[in-house]
Amino acid sequence: MNDRITFANFHPVSLFFYFAAMLVFTMFTQNPVLILFSLVGASLFSAATSTREQIFADIKFYVPVFIVISLTNPIFSHSGATPLFFMNDNPVTLEAVLCGVDIAAMISAVMLICKAFSKVMESEKLLCLFGKAAPKLSVVLSMSLRFIPLFKRKFKEIKDAQKALGYFKSGSFSESLMSNARVFSALVTWALENGADTADSISARGYDVGGRKSFALFRFKKRDAILMTITLVLSSVTLVGFLLGKADFEFYPYITQINTDALSVILYAAFGSLSLIPFIFEVKEALHWKYLRSKI
Amino acid sequence: MFKKRKDIIIILAFVMIAAIFILNTDFKSVDEYYLEHAQDVENADATVFISIKCETILENIEDLDRNLILLVPKDGIILPQTEYALRDGDSVFDILVRTAKTHKIQMEYSGGASSSAYIEGIAHFYEFSCGELSGWTYLVNGEHPSVSSASYELSDGDVIEWVYTCEVSRDILQGGAANE
Repeated sequence: MNDRITFANFHPVSLFFYFAAMLVFTMFTQNPVLILFSLVGASLFSAATSTREQIFADIKFYVPVFIVISLTNPIFSHSGATPLFFMNDNPVTLEAVLCGVDIAAMISAVMLICKAFSKVMESEKLLCLFGKAAPKLSVVLSMSLRFIPLFKRKFKEIKDAQKALGYFKSGSFSESLMSNARVFSALVTWALENGADTADSISARGYDVGGRKSFALFRFKKRDAILMTITLVLSSVTLVGFLLGKADFEFYPYITQINTDALSVILYAAFGSLSLIPFIFEVKEALHWKYLRSKI
Repeated sequence: MFKKRKDIIIILAFVMIAAIFILNTDFKSVDEYYLEHAQDVENADATVFISIKCETILENIEDLDRNLILLVPKDGIILPQTEYALRDGDSVFDILVRTAKTHKIQMEYSGGASSSAYIEGIAHFYEFSCGELSGWTYLVNGEHPSVSSASYELSDGDVIEWVYTCEVSRDILQGGAANE
C-alpha cells in the first residue's frame, strides 16, 4: 500500500466508484466551470502527493501540452461567429480559440485524474476488484498501468549504462539526440522481449486455470461506506444536473452564457466538492499529523 | 549545448522549415479579407445570379442543433437572388467565395479552389447540423450538376442556387425531378 497517500487507504470499490464518476463527468462535458473544478481538484491532489521536483517536472510536461492543444484547435476549426484574423483565407475565430483552451483543460484534467488513479489503485487493488469477474482484463489493466513508470525507469537505466560506456560525453545537441534515439531503440527491444517473458511467466504459474483463490487484505469499513455515500450523493446530484441540461455549453457559432440559476449553482457546488474530495483528505491528514507532532 | 557544426546545420534546417511554413501562410485582418473583392463586382459584360437558401431547415427544425435555432432566417433565405460579375473561367465555387466575402457571410470549405472544393458550412449551418443527411449543395439553372462546384464553369446568365438539404438532395430535387 502507498503510505504517502491517505486517499489510497480506502477500499478499492469506493475508490473505483469515485474515479469512474470523475472521469465520466469530466469527459462528457464542455462546461468550463465543471472542467475548471475538475482540473483544479486533480492538480491540487497531484501536487499534494508529489515531491517538489515531481511538481516542477509535471509543470514542465503539462503546460506545453496545454498550449499545443489549445493552439491546434483554432488552426483546424474555422467555425464560430467572431473572426480574429484570416489565415490562408480561413478565419481564425475567437470561439475556436476558447474552445481549444477548454478542450486542453479537459484533456489535462483527464490525464491528471488517470495519473491519480494509477497512483492510488495499485495492482493488488485492481486484482481485488476484477480478479474474480475478469481475471484477464484485470491483469492487462494492472500491467498496462505500470508500463509508463517502468519504461521511464528502464530508460534511465539504459542511459546510465551508455553514459558509462562513454556516450553523451561531447554535450553536442545532435549527438545527444542520436544517443537518445539509440537508448530508445534499446528500450523498445527490451519492452517487446519483456512482454513475451512476462506472459510466459504468468501462464507458467497457472494464472486463470481455475480453482485458484486470491487473498486480499481489504475490509469494507465505516469510512469506506462514508466515502461511497458521499460519492454517490454528489454524483447523483451532478447526474441530475446533466440530465436537466444545466451543464450544457456550446462554443459554436456563438458562445452560450454560463448558467447561473439556482439549480446550476447546486450542480457546480456538487461537482466542485466531488472533485476536491481527495485533496481534502490529504490536507486533513497532513494537518492532523502536524497537530499530533506539535503535542510531542 | 550547441557545440558542433552539425548542431548549427540542424538548427538552421528547423528554422528554414518553420520559415517556409510561416511565409507560405497568408495572414489577413478581418477588414482586409472582406474588402478584397468588393471592387470586382461592378462593370462586367457577363453576369450570373446567385442565391443562398435554407428553406429545408424550416421544415426539419426539430433536427437542428439547438444553438443554431436563433440563426435561421424566417423565410429561409440567407441571400436573395443577386447579380454578380462573371470573369473568364469562374466556377460556381469562385462566385460563392466572392459572394460570401462581399456580404460577410461566414463560410468554410475544404479541398480548395483547384478541383474538389467541398462546402462544409455557410452562415454557421454546417454539414450534419440538421440531421445526419444534411449539408450544402447547389443547383445551376434548376439542375443538379454531378461535379464539384469548383469544377463547374459558368456561362453568362446562369442562375446558381446554393441550397441546404436535410436528405442528401432528395428534398430539394422533387421540384426539379418533375421536369425531367
